[in-house]
Amino acid sequence: MTAATSAPARPRAPRAARVVPLSAWRLLRVELRRNAMPWILPLIAALFWFDSYRPSIQTEPLYVIRTFWNLGQGGTIIDFGPFVAAVAAWMGSRDGRRRLADLVTATPRPRWTAQLATWAATAIWAVAAYLVFVGVMFAMYARQGVGGAPPWWWVAVGVTGVIAFSAAGFAVGVFWPSRFAAPVAAFGSALILLMSSRTGFTHTSGWAMILPTNSNGNFQNDSGISYPWLPDLPIARIMFLAGIAAAVLGVTGLPARAGGPGLRRAAAVIAVAGLALAGTATGLASSARLTAHGMAIPGLHDAASDAPIAYTPVCGHAAGVPVCLNPAYGRWLPAITGALAPELAEVAGLPGAPARATQVATGYTGGPVAPPGPPVATGAAGPPQALTLTGQPAVLRLSLGMLNMPGPCGFCDGPVNGTQFAGQVRLMFAHAFVGAGSAPGSPAQRAVQAALLRGAGIPFAAQPLVMGHTDNFPGAPRSKSATGPIYAAARRFAALPATARHAWLAAHLAALRAGQLTLKDLP
Amino acid sequence: MNVELTDVTRRFGRTQAVAGVTLETGAGVFGLLGPNGAGKTTLLRMMATVIPPNTGRLRLLGRDPGGYGPRREIRRRLGYLPQSLGYYPGFTVAEFVEYFALLKEIPPDRVPQSVATAIERVDLGSRAKAKLRTLSGGMLRRVGIAQAIVNEPELLLLDEPTAGLDPEQRVAFRALLRQLGERATVVVSTHLVEDVGAACSEVTLMDAGKIVFHGTPDELTARGQGPGAVGDAPMERGYSAVLTAARAGSGSASAVA
Repeated sequence: MTAATSAPARPRAPRAARVVPLSAWRLLRVELRRNAMPWILPLIAALFWFDSYRPSIQTEPLYVIRTFWNLGQGGTIIDFGPFVAAVAAWMGSRDGRRRLADLVTATPRPRWTAQLATWAATAIWAVAAYLVFVGVMFAMYARQGVGGAPPWWWVAVGVTGVIAFSAAGFAVGVFWPSRFAAPVAAFGSALILLMSSRTGFTHTSGWAMILPTNSNGNFQNDSGISYPWLPDLPIARIMFLAGIAAAVLGVTGLPARAGGPGLRRAAAVIAVAGLALAGTATGLASSARLTAHGMAIPGLHDAASDAPIAYTPVCGHAAGVPVCLNPAYGRWLPAITGALAPELAEVAGLPGAPARATQVATGYTGGPVAPPGPPVATGAAGPPQALTLTGQPAVLRLSLGMLNMPGPCGFCDGPVNGTQFAGQVRLMFAHAFVGAGSAPGSPAQRAVQAALLRGAGIPFAAQPLVMGHTDNFPGAPRSKSATGPIYAAARRFAALPATARHAWLAAHLAALRAGQLTLKDLP
Repeated sequence: MNVELTDVTRRFGRTQAVAGVTLETGAGVFGLLGPNGAGKTTLLRMMATVIPPNTGRLRLLGRDPGGYGPRREIRRRLGYLPQSLGYYPGFTVAEFVEYFALLKEIPPDRVPQSVATAIERVDLGSRAKAKLRTLSGGMLRRVGIAQAIVNEPELLLLDEPTAGLDPEQRVAFRALLRQLGERATVVVSTHLVEDVGAACSEVTLMDAGKIVFHGTPDELTARGQGPGAVGDAPMERGYSAVLTAARAGSGSASAVA
């Protein structure tokens, strides 16, 4: 073939530096407009409502409880992950499925950068949807008066999780441009999340703490109420998920068709850096240890995170005794004052009676966080108690994070009603008042405890049931009947006139608390 | 020369798709004719820098596409319409052409005008906002042509560009080809010899991966006077006569310039 003429090369304007980002933005805009992700969002929204929001409103209106399943155990990531991975795989396989591979290859823009624009649009839609869904959920919580602070760090983990699943799904589509890439990516993601969840249920330490579905040591106590949500583990998980995302996206830039040598080298560096980041994060998570405020990672921990959250308490009175709570628990103030009032009235004026009651933080290591001063009596070692008496004059310390508050519970057999709650509070107060501490208590202490409960309106016959239903109560009876020498002594003591009981307690309370009295010493 | 191929070969497994092709082209419209499996599409894919040759030397627009930098420069100046063009069904005509304008690294401030011009040149201005899934096969082919010419390429490679076009559109398209060929090298692979006759200044005929004829459309038509000629149109008879002679092993190389 001979040439008719030789075409002169046309001069072209030099490409300004700002052209590249502007061009990338326009490319991203086109991809955003025509991305497949919006089509799947209604389905994710329905699943999110059914799986993440709906069960949460059956639990106590505290962020730390409400978000236990949907953020702590990764419910929101489970709702999003497989679908996001599937759509990302669909988008990643687009050029191959649509027989456009030759055409896009013959363009000067490096294939990898164009693919990254497609992925970015997919990820932006997914992340925006995640933030909107979680935002709407939190707005609903706010309308419902949910107490405490939202776990923003865990939201960030969810966002990074969505990004990681979109990147992984996209890589599947790039390397396997088939219509089956999407279902395979969805199935694979679901399988990974299922295995991750199962591992999270059983592993409370070690490498498994890096899994975004592992809630051990981070939810269900007073995070966001009395002390901040510790960011240590979320930071490690963000590093891990971001590392995974970077690694798989970097790998998509390695093939020869992805771009020039420089770009492919950059892709390799990104892939290796992503792997290093994920590995480092796993190492950090392995070093996590449980502290009173949650999982702390020595390499990431900032002491400022341990500072308690300052708050103005909400206060009421029970039999003239001031009772002050964290505002997050404010809705339950009437239930608590109502529960405490009969017993506080009964012990009013006694030398060991509490001058006030105040809420204290519940820690993850069990029981109240660092109570100042020694308790009135510790007794033998046993489970930490939600109500303790400390100091002189005595202060009743309420570690409400250990209790199931009245109303929906979610993690109980059913809702906790006011009578059940009052019974448990009164039992724990009486137990603390007689000085039994974390132990079942001496027979004399248990007899006086029973008599105090009887005076507070809990019949002897009902007491074994209340004890059986109270979590961590150390003196649960073996028998469901209120019989035996302890209850005989209790009935005898309770039969005394109130003034006589009061006078006896005034004289013998110190000895009773010290465990020096026997049943025979009771009047 | 805008296209210089020297003894280029390309093999897919045991199949020799292109077997030692040598040709040179400058500006103008060049027809690439041949039966199915002759190697036309493979040759175009190599010229489009989609696949490299196994052996031989390839220079496009004065550059060696073997190096990444030169290859990118070539691609900036290249327009390509594959034989089997896919599309993104959810894109509009304008978005699809804009997408490829951006992939071709047209400066962003010039993109809207370039897109509008390309769409007008294929007579799809009234359907610019139509989704691709709503278009007929012929319209989709014109969209493919629009994306190929959006960057005003210096080398335009069109594989079966008139497939699916109605006669009126084909006439308009040939006019467009002639216009483009005034300053660019346009290589048109086709089965339709009338397209070659109407639009091309030169024609190459391939068979079994080799060039068996190169000349003007009139020279190809003249071959129809010889033995083995079949067909209704004069150029068709030339086409069949050349193929018959080539397959008999008697008339190929001498015709190649």
